[in-house]
Amino acid sequence: MKAIHTLLLILLILLIPTPGWPATTEDWVLIANPKAGIGRLTQDEVTNIFLGRYRRLASGVTAEPLDQPADSALRARFYRQLVDKSLAEINAYWARLVFSGKTRPPGVASSSEDAMQRVSLHPETLAYIEKSRVDARVVVVFEIVE
Amino acid sequence: MAIRRIVPWSSGIVFRSLAAVALITLLLGGISSIFIRDQITARGHEEALQRLSELLDTVESTASVATFANDEQLASEVAQGLLRNSEVQRVIISAGNTELARAERSPQPDTTQPSNAPPVQRSLLSPFKKGDVIGSIRLEANWDAISSRVVANSRQAILTLLGQLLLVIGGTAGMVFLVVVRPIKATSDRLHRLDPTNAGALEIPEGHAGTEIGRLVSDINGLTGRLVNTLNQERELRRQQEIGQRKYQDLFDHASSGIFVTDTEGCLASFNRAFVELTRLVHVATEQPRKLTEPGWDDHTQLLDLLRRSADQQISCEDDFLLCGRQGDERWLHVAIMPLGDGSMQGTVTDVTARKREEILARRLVITDSLTGFANREGLIQHYAMLNSVSDLPFTTVMIDLDGFKQINDAKGFPVGDMVLMEVSRRIRRATHPSDFLSRIGGDEFVLIFNGISERGAAATRIEALHANLCEPYELNHESVSMGASIGIAFFPQDGANMSQLLRSAELALNSVRESSRSASLPGYRFFAPQLQAAVEHQRRLEDDLRHAVHNGELRLAFQPIIDLHTGGLAGAEVLLRWPHAVRGLISPEVFIPLAERVGLISEIGRQVLEEACRQVAEWRRDGLNMYVSVNVSVSQIPDELSPDAILDVLQRFSLPAEAIVIEITEGVLMGDIGAAQRWIEQLRAAGLRIYLDDFGTGYSSLSYLKRFPMDTVKIDKSFVIDMNADNSDHTLVNTIITMAGSLGLKVVAEGIEDANQLALLRKMGCGYGQGFFISHPVAAADFVATAARINATQANTASNS
Repeated sequence: MKAIHTLLLILLILLIPTPGWPATTEDWVLIANPKAGIGRLTQDEVTNIFLGRYRRLASGVTAEPLDQPADSALRARFYRQLVDKSLAEINAYWARLVFSGKTRPPGVASSSEDAMQRVSLHPETLAYIEKSRVDARVVVVFEIVE
Repeated sequence: MAIRRIVPWSSGIVFRSLAAVALITLLLGGISSIFIRDQITARGHEEALQRLSELLDTVESTASVATFANDEQLASEVAQGLLRNSEVQRVIISAGNTELARAERSPQPDTTQPSNAPPVQRSLLSPFKKGDVIGSIRLEANWDAISSRVVANSRQAILTLLGQLLLVIGGTAGMVFLVVVRPIKATSDRLHRLDPTNAGALEIPEGHAGTEIGRLVSDINGLTGRLVNTLNQERELRRQQEIGQRKYQDLFDHASSGIFVTDTEGCLASFNRAFVELTRLVHVATEQPRKLTEPGWDDHTQLLDLLRRSADQQISCEDDFLLCGRQGDERWLHVAIMPLGDGSMQGTVTDVTARKREEILARRLVITDSLTGFANREGLIQHYAMLNSVSDLPFTTVMIDLDGFKQINDAKGFPVGDMVLMEVSRRIRRATHPSDFLSRIGGDEFVLIFNGISERGAAATRIEALHANLCEPYELNHESVSMGASIGIAFFPQDGANMSQLLRSAELALNSVRESSRSASLPGYRFFAPQLQAAVEHQRRLEDDLRHAVHNGELRLAFQPIIDLHTGGLAGAEVLLRWPHAVRGLISPEVFIPLAERVGLISEIGRQVLEEACRQVAEWRRDGLNMYVSVNVSVSQIPDELSPDAILDVLQRFSLPAEAIVIEITEGVLMGDIGAAQRWIEQLRAAGLRIYLDDFGTGYSSLSYLKRFPMDTVKIDKSFVIDMNADNSDHTLVNTIITMAGSLGLKVVAEGIEDANQLALLRKMGCGYGQGFFISHPVAAADFVATAARINATQANTASNS
């Protein structure tokens, strides 16, 4: 088991493009519904929300995270930049919680547009999209500063 | 024999060795099982914790996920999963301060949880943020389960150990029994039954020929063999020793010699019965050791000296010791001492009294003159052997010689002579002091020592009395005999430092008395004087010179012509001997002939004279002188020193007829061994030699001699001729001799004719021959021919005158 994990990890490391390369995926930003009243979030808060530690912010606002599709490059980039994990690791993490626990993984948007749509429709929703796609329907609450 | 002992099984080697093996093994097993139990327990606990820790490792990430997500369900799942391990008692998973999940098994009532055993607790980290502690998982061990497991483990280990130990004990015991104990026990049993004196030997157990047991057995066999040998030798030695000791004890007890063993101080260790009897050792009931000095020795210090000498030098010493006794019962004991080497000495004692008495008697006899009871020469010499001229008192040595004793002895026989000597000794004894030493050193020679007298006056007084006494007539068998005595005196120490010198000095004095007593009526004694010694010295030197002269032929012959008084012509010559001494001049034959006789040179001289005379007369006869030579022969040359054969031999060598030699003898020849002299004369006359009787008229001149000894001629001594005158008795005597000789058919030679008157008288008396200075002095051989010619010429004149 462990050997396979290690092998996978090596494969993933080899597959991941280095930051110096011409970006195939854009920088992402975390967006929220402006009406939800969510201010700027910290990286820890984003991590805790997206990895199921809690879904309610300190201000009492509920926050429902929303992932990009499972095979999207943005999703991989998001988790890499947020917690420095591969998608496989993130999936393994969730697998344990889903299998024996009660905590649920974030919902999945079919695309960034879908994510924008859902954020604009449901104020408690938090999602990450390409930075370039941000428009007036949403507000950016967190972004990775390089 | 060895006592047979049964070895109880509990003290046998089998039981002991096996018990020892079992005991040691069990002891070690017990100790090690305690050690093993402790170790297993400790390790069991450690391993349990290790296992729990590893258990935690497997759930750690899941637990951290559950804690991160605050997912009680997952946490509970994890806790329950852990609890399925029997060693886990309780699991608590906390997220921060809140307990997320808790699972535990119902506690046992008799829980014996070690208080010091901590729970296993692990902090849980966030899976997404490094170093962020988000909770903890705490796991408490189920010590009952662990302990029971540990106990089971240790019990099993100990049981295994015990089983192994039992196997080892059994195996070791069996092997020890088989390999070591059984052969040893078998050997021990056999050894116990073994009787080495019956040549028994042990067998080597099977298969042990090369092992230590085999070697032990063969060593024991060797040892017993040697032991038996040694025992046998010892037994034999002891037997012989006993026999020897018994033998020596018998010898010791029954020996006729006394035997004793003593230390160097004379303490007796043992002694036999003979010793007691010989030394008259008195029995004393005492424990003290008896002393060698206890018997009544005359001088026991000498005995101790002997003992010490033997001990010091480690040599055998022996000597005779006088043992005093009651009533003069003295005993001489010979004691021989031999060191035994261990500091003690062994001695033997033998009674030598008889031998000792004989020795003393013999010694006394040796030094005593049995006839007179005086000391003999040996006694005298012995008595004065240790004279010391410095410390010894002066004394007078008196030597007495009896004059005329020999004649008495010869005439009357030895018994009478002995009576005379006994009378002499009685007179000497009467005339001397008891302190004087009296001895007879020869037939009639006495030596007296007057002790304490060193002065001539005192000595002379006593000796005059003695001399007078000795010269008194002796009454022998009613017959009175007179005898003189000559006495020589020497003083100690001035006349001699020892007895032999003193005797010589006294003898010199005595001889001078004897020589002078003939001519004058001097005292019959004389003191020694150095001149006497000088005279003797002179005599001795003269002897040496004579010997030298004879050997070098220095003696010369002279010839005195003898003429025929009827014709006046030369008839012959008398050979005379001359000794021209280099220092003293011409020495008379009257001096040196007696000397030659005394020192034994006379025969050599006689041979030389005869030889030379014959050579000379042979020469002259060849020159035409019809003559003879007459040679004087002394008493001592007859009969053997100048034998008739030797004379005839010389004649033959010079081819001389018998009438060329005439032998002149004196009357002394006729007074010794008459028979021998007679034969000697007859032998020569038978060969044709003529014999002249010399010096006729001076001695006995017995006519019976002339009858008994056939002579040819007598020579009238010159003393008659020189005093011859027409009117004195000598004239008559000469005439009588000539007449008598004529009647006996003997010719006559007159000696010493010194003038014409004598010659004429002799011729008128009818004397046939003559010699003397008137006719011719004796002349040397070289002058003889001229002398002969002168005589013959005179004869011619006389013949022509008459």
